[in-house]
Amino acid sequence: MIPVRRLPPTLFAVMLLGAVALACGCLGTAEGADAPDWNLTLAGDQETVLTFAEIRALPAVEGYGYSVSTVGIKYGPNTYRGVLLADLVEMAGGAGAEDLIYVSAEDGYLWVFDLPQLQGEEFFTFDENLREIPAPPLKVILAYDQDGEPLAYEEGGPLRLVVIAETPDVITEGSSWVKWVDRIEVHRR
Amino acid sequence: MIRPAVTLAFIALAILAAAAGCTDTEPERTVLTVIPAGSLLHPLEEIEAAFENQHPDIDVRIEGHGSIQAVRQVTDLRRDIDVVAVADASLIPDMMYIPMTEGGENYTDWYAPFAGNEIVIAYTDRSTGAEEITSENWYRVLARPDVRVGFSNPMLDACGYRALMVTALAEEHYGEPGLFETIIGNAFDPPLTPTHADGITTITLPERIRPADEKVVIRDGSIYLLSLLDAGGIDYAFEYRSVAEEHGLRWIDLPPEINLGSAELADDYQKVHVTLGFQRFRSIGSERIGQPIVYAITMPRNAPYPDEARMFVDFVLTAFHERRAGWPTPIE
Repeated sequence: MIPVRRLPPTLFAVMLLGAVALACGCLGTAEGADAPDWNLTLAGDQETVLTFAEIRALPAVEGYGYSVSTVGIKYGPNTYRGVLLADLVEMAGGAGAEDLIYVSAEDGYLWVFDLPQLQGEEFFTFDENLREIPAPPLKVILAYDQDGEPLAYEEGGPLRLVVIAETPDVITEGSSWVKWVDRIEVHRR
Repeated sequence: MIRPAVTLAFIALAILAAAAGCTDTEPERTVLTVIPAGSLLHPLEEIEAAFENQHPDIDVRIEGHGSIQAVRQVTDLRRDIDVVAVADASLIPDMMYIPMTEGGENYTDWYAPFAGNEIVIAYTDRSTGAEEITSENWYRVLARPDVRVGFSNPMLDACGYRALMVTALAEEHYGEPGLFETIIGNAFDPPLTPTHADGITTITLPERIRPADEKVVIRDGSIYLLSLLDAGGIDYAFEYRSVAEEHGLRWIDLPPEINLGSAELADDYQKVHVTLGFQRFRSIGSERIGQPIVYAITMPRNAPYPDEARMFVDFVLTAFHERRAGWPTPIE
């Protein structure tokens, strides 16, 4: 017969807490250990395909994102980290004053940006009560982290267009927050 | 005395039990997910309360979207939705009478039209020209250069492209060539100018629809126009009559020939088309054709709770039998 040794109570409690944490999904895998299989196509003067890891390796910016839907449902605020859309457009050959940027997604959604928006300008911004406020400095990024964690699929991850501000109290219209981005095209005009 | 380790273990077990839902002694309520168009949010929230009163075992969760986005929750996004209600009945056959899987059954094969609406010109006492505007002269007031006019983004909201259709129909109805450009088109650079061919008037929008001056204001949805009206940021907004009524605004009724509210005039409305600047969704094209505003409701074939969804649909249809302030109008 195999002798059964009683676990010390403290060790038992720690193990139990670990089991609880696992059951609650609190112990995620280490960041970057399980990079999603997701590519981004940049189509401009030439076509380039970036892997998720290559996108993460690009210079990153961070800020607060807070969006509102067409019927007034607010999402956020959250912190986001990602790559400037302008940097990605530069990698595709850059955009002229009249060019348009088509950002499209796996689910068939498309939104079009112009050069001022690429530079964070000409967005409408709102306060918590959805009253319009003058737009503070904004940046348009392709986000891959939300609140320090990889952006979840149901939140539009692994790559989502996000308009960020320097403070958490700036709400932007959600129509440009394209989820599941897999292609960025520069349309010359 | 209880040792700390044992206490810790009990706490851990309690957390685990809570996480697993083991301590929930309340009977589980059936969660019914209902996706209405934005202009149905207010009536459906009232209906939700009345329905849950009669059916305490059902928890209706209302999630508003633009009509196309409402349908896409079922189709493109493949979410488990019990009921969809849209502000444009044609979207259901166009977007849902398609197979869920290759060779399989359609997302749905039916819909129930249950209400209508019409476009009005909403305003407040403080709007420029508020003392003089009437159903007869409204288009002359809106054409004045000092009057600011708002509508929602036609890319995002059916009320937005309907505003363009109404203005184009008004040009014809009042025999005022150039009226569309004076009220809306000239605020863009280059100007938005309707084209006419084979009896059809077509308004073609650019990819980025951004006015070049302050005469015209465009926002993502009608709630932002209401807030601008309130703040004095615009003088007049193209809105659904029920929305203007719900929000206690003043409004001008438009003639049935142009307000998109009359089923008998469907043939006339069809003479106006709007071509959107780009195809926002792969699942629906970018051409919108004028037609009477009809609300419709359906249940996706894969609704998680079809029996409860059917009960809710019947409840909605019954609720819409009578005319209520701030609701779209019942139809036969």
